Amino acid sequence: MISQEFLNIFYDIVLVIQVLLLLPTLYFAVKGPTISDRLLAVDLFTTLIVGIIVILVLITENEALLDIGIAIAAVSFIGTLAVARYVSEGKVF
Amino acid sequence: MELIGVALITIGLVFRIISVIGVIRFPDAFTRLHATGKAATVGLFGLLAGASFIMPALIWKALALGLFMLAAAPVVSHAIASAERSPHSVRE
Repeated sequence: MISQEFLNIFYDIVLVIQVLLLLPTLYFAVKGPTISDRLLAVDLFTTLIVGIIVILVLITENEALLDIGIAIAAVSFIGTLAVARYVSEGKVF
Repeated sequence: MELIGVALITIGLVFRIISVIGVIRFPDAFTRLHATGKAATVGLFGLLAGASFIMPALIWKALALGLFMLAAAPVVSHAIASAERSPHSVRE
């Protein structure tokens, strides 16, 4: 059995590490030499944000926040797929 | 129960750190795609499984999100790889 104080400190450490991981991903979304590098960095960015939301659910103990994660994952899927198909085919559909 | 959850969250976090390190150090877009797949599948699934072990009321939403990402990540990787292969991909 783990005490609640240890769990709170653990959540804070995981949250800070994941927010720090956003910075190099944002740098690559701006810099990346080809358009695919930028696309892949933006996709990784939204995946990291979904992970941050999972930790926020544990901190606030409010399970309705996970719906925001599902919505962000769905919108990011559609957006990344549309831009990738636009680059490769010249049209979206 | 909390111990298993903390262990699974740590595994997911380690996979995400490895994924970002791979995106920084790999030379081109195809090898970077190999790195981002780690964060989208194992990283997120570890975090969701750990959160479900700590808060058991979360398990159905976590399962829905995890299965969606498990289906969506290969499709996105395939689309980005075919965008990189196409002649329209401009290098600045």
